[in-house]
Amino acid sequence: MSKGSRNPRREMSRALSRVANATVAETLETQAELPEQVLYRIGVTGAPGAGKSTLISRLAARRVERGAKVAVVAIDPTSPVSQGSILGDRIRMDAVSDDPNIFIRSIPSRRAHDGLADNTADLLWAMEGHGFDEVIVETVGVGQAEYSVRAIVDTVVLVLLPESGDAVQAMKAGLLEMADIYVVNKADLPGAELMAGDIAATAARQAAPEINGGDGWVPPVLQTSSRDAASFAALDAAIEAHRAWRQNRIDHDAVRRARSRYQVQGLIGRRAEELLETMPDADLDRSPKEIYEALLQQLATAPGEGET
Amino acid sequence: MSLKGKRILIAKPGLDGHDVGAKIIALALRDAGADVIYTGLRKSPDYIARVAVDEDVDAVGLSMLSGSHKEIVADTVQCLEALDAADIKIFVGGTIPTDDHAGLIAAGVCGIYTAEMTIDDVLAAIDKELAA
Repeated sequence: MSKGSRNPRREMSRALSRVANATVAETLETQAELPEQVLYRIGVTGAPGAGKSTLISRLAARRVERGAKVAVVAIDPTSPVSQGSILGDRIRMDAVSDDPNIFIRSIPSRRAHDGLADNTADLLWAMEGHGFDEVIVETVGVGQAEYSVRAIVDTVVLVLLPESGDAVQAMKAGLLEMADIYVVNKADLPGAELMAGDIAATAARQAAPEINGGDGWVPPVLQTSSRDAASFAALDAAIEAHRAWRQNRIDHDAVRRARSRYQVQGLIGRRAEELLETMPDADLDRSPKEIYEALLQQLATAPGEGET
Repeated sequence: MSLKGKRILIAKPGLDGHDVGAKIIALALRDAGADVIYTGLRKSPDYIARVAVDEDVDAVGLSMLSGSHKEIVADTVQCLEALDAADIKIFVGGTIPTDDHAGLIAAGVCGIYTAEMTIDDVLAAIDKELAA
């Protein structure tokens, strides 16, 4: 345990590192109670190159103007070969890196393949209570990240590019029906208008109760361009509108339970990996059923107990 | 050797715009298992120190070809101290005349890695420094 720092920013930064480096046993020690969740969580997802990082920096600047203290968690992929990573999102957030009201932390995705990092839920948990008002989570740009990010954030923003016909195809198949706000970014490129229209038609159906439990929110479809400051004001306003709507319309207990489910699933998954990594070869030579049963037995022992 | 789990900031302070070396080191560190954050070109020591704190890195690598390494190192050390982050290590690379090495070490730099070294030697030196 490190001693407290006289720099509060460093304090939070160190707290995040402790969570990032923690074993499951150590993580659990900090999660004995349900904390009050104060941070408003905004998730920004979309394909690589869609402009998520730049959009986040513009959005964060808007939100700071309104007096919010904003933390950003930017997730980049971990190399499956070396386990290393190049965390490059913050280069695109240069414009706001100097703002004392914006904190940016780059994190590697580690073992996760769902657009988040395997400890994102724990990191968000650890960010509570450090004086920030909201956190923006940038996912790794992979296909179906919105499912997982949906579980842990309050407002999901999906960033698309004009003429990304594949995305529209995917929407038709029902894959991209999870977002609260759709953004066609780089809208100064040709095709933006058409794309926005296509999405709006699909998005309107999201509000219907028979479609993925439709909650009545009609996701707006916005067009943004880094050349047009007003377009980010519109995005900022759309997030506020969703936030206000959500406050009264969402079943907050259900949301909390869904988050707990995701978080505990992650902890169990990581714990299973810890155990499988140290399992002797002789044990791994057995049948999957036998390995599974042996693993279950070990999982039944609280992590940390009976270990050296 | 493994730098797995280590967080390293590769920074380009000063006015030179040549970051091939910085990028080669960044990729080599990643391949050795480290999580690497790269600042991009022409950053101030103050900026670099603040990023180092937010990202809670184990070390900052300053890549400098401009000749202003003495001033930049002194400023970066000072900025880190001001943020209560004097424990974050600093190593330097680039065009650093041998005559300046002792002065930089005295100023608080933990390693100087120039173009005469192989990548493997640089990685081994960083690994040793961060394991200490």
